[in-house]
Amino acid sequence: MVFVRPHTPFFNELFPCDLHTQSIGGGGRPVPDNRLLVPVAESSTLRQTVEYAVRTALEGTGSGYLEFVYVHSPEVSDERLGDQAEANIETVTALLDRITVWAEEDAGDNSKELTVESTHVGRDRYLFSPGDVGTALAAVANRNDIERMVLDPEYNPGVGSPLLRPLEVELTRLTDVPVEEAPVQRQVRRPPLLLRSSSIQAGALFFVSFMFYQVLAGTFGLFDLVTGAISGTIVAVSLSRITFNHDPSVSWIGRLARFVVFVPYLFWEILKANVLVAKVILQPGLPIEPRLTRVDTAVWGSLPVTTLANSITLTPGTLTVRVEGRSLMVHTLVPGAREDLFDGGLERAVRFVFYGRNAMSMPTPRERDDTTILQPRDESKSLESDGGPHSSGKTAGESGGDEQ
Amino acid sequence: MIEAARDGAIVAFVLLGLFFTFVSTAGVLRLPDIYSRAHTASQADTLGAGFTLAAVALAIGFETGSYKTVLLLFFIFITNPTAAHAISRAAEEQGIEPWTTDDDQTDEELYRDSKLETDGGDNE
Repeated sequence: MVFVRPHTPFFNELFPCDLHTQSIGGGGRPVPDNRLLVPVAESSTLRQTVEYAVRTALEGTGSGYLEFVYVHSPEVSDERLGDQAEANIETVTALLDRITVWAEEDAGDNSKELTVESTHVGRDRYLFSPGDVGTALAAVANRNDIERMVLDPEYNPGVGSPLLRPLEVELTRLTDVPVEEAPVQRQVRRPPLLLRSSSIQAGALFFVSFMFYQVLAGTFGLFDLVTGAISGTIVAVSLSRITFNHDPSVSWIGRLARFVVFVPYLFWEILKANVLVAKVILQPGLPIEPRLTRVDTAVWGSLPVTTLANSITLTPGTLTVRVEGRSLMVHTLVPGAREDLFDGGLERAVRFVFYGRNAMSMPTPRERDDTTILQPRDESKSLESDGGPHSSGKTAGESGGDEQ
Repeated sequence: MIEAARDGAIVAFVLLGLFFTFVSTAGVLRLPDIYSRAHTASQADTLGAGFTLAAVALAIGFETGSYKTVLLLFFIFITNPTAAHAISRAAEEQGIEPWTTDDDQTDEELYRDSKLETDGGDNE
């Protein structure tokens, strides 16, 4: 089977490994000693991790090389979102500067033998899962001939579920570079159930589940208050770790308020679409024109994408078949529903909910040219080419072929 | 007078809910393939259940537990698209190609094709 490499920058970023390693092996270029890569983010054990990395890099003979990499979380992965993203970049730069200063401080007299570099990845991309983060880190590692990766035990890139293990597994799978965890002293050994979930997260979850219990009970009697508190505590202790990726912040109140505005709009859209589809179904001729389409939506992060995909499915006439990152495969039943989808009313509304008013001014999917109609299937052509609808789902890499 | 208006509204909402559930059922029977049927199946849950629950809320009155119908609707609105997505995604993973039609097909051909797909599922 001939594997054609699509010429999209995204794809080349994703799968740089094979070409790159070959060029190293063939060229016989000398690889210097002790080249380390350290993914970093704000954490309580960051300082110790840096110290350990510097010590490791300076071990043995030859010069050491340290690369600190910050991985952006999907919420800020687009610069068009304005102020928030700008502020985020400043924070990241400050963090990386601080780490560089630490590293030079730790190196002390040996600082001449140590090269320290720092970079951040994922701003222009959508890093959705530990696998995506692993791929991005592996790309950096390959580019700079990294020999070893050091992971901060408290490292949490804020992507997907907050777990270190999957990232380690992914890194081992994706690269030959050995991965190790920095031996750090953690200040508190928390009980296993509360591992890595802050008290704010547990508190927020307790509040939500307690209020839900009271709403269901409906009386606010003493019995309900006591049993509700007990149930809420159990839920908060056992589940707060998988409920939140980040600490809930004040911005969530704004999002909740905007969500309340969003709901009537969604109802109105559902009503309109229902009438449209009902008219089509009840006509004797059944004038449907089903087409599979692909829309690269302009929302980022797992929760906004889920909200949008579910809203699209709720509206009759459009049905989300597949989600890859922020690219949605949508089955549309009638041309009217398809036009509405490409006009991006729901997409703009979801952006309004999660990013605020100024994110609404972005162009529609049609104007951005982010829409593709994957069919019509011509009987003559469908057999030889255009494996669009079902083959694209099997491997992530093939999906790039549709843009060619 | 107010009671009569309320009863009228309840009946209207129930009828609307029934109408959209009926349309949804008709759609499931008439539409050609699994994807297009998934579209119309969501109608029964959104407006069918929506209007019926509105009627229930009116009938119960505002003091006791009518807000629970809102909660019910909320959960339906979360679970319904999730299920529809799961079904269509599974179909897509099985390699079922969505049924399409050209604009110049006649009604008879449309009907015949839809019968073919419905009865045999002649996808490869």
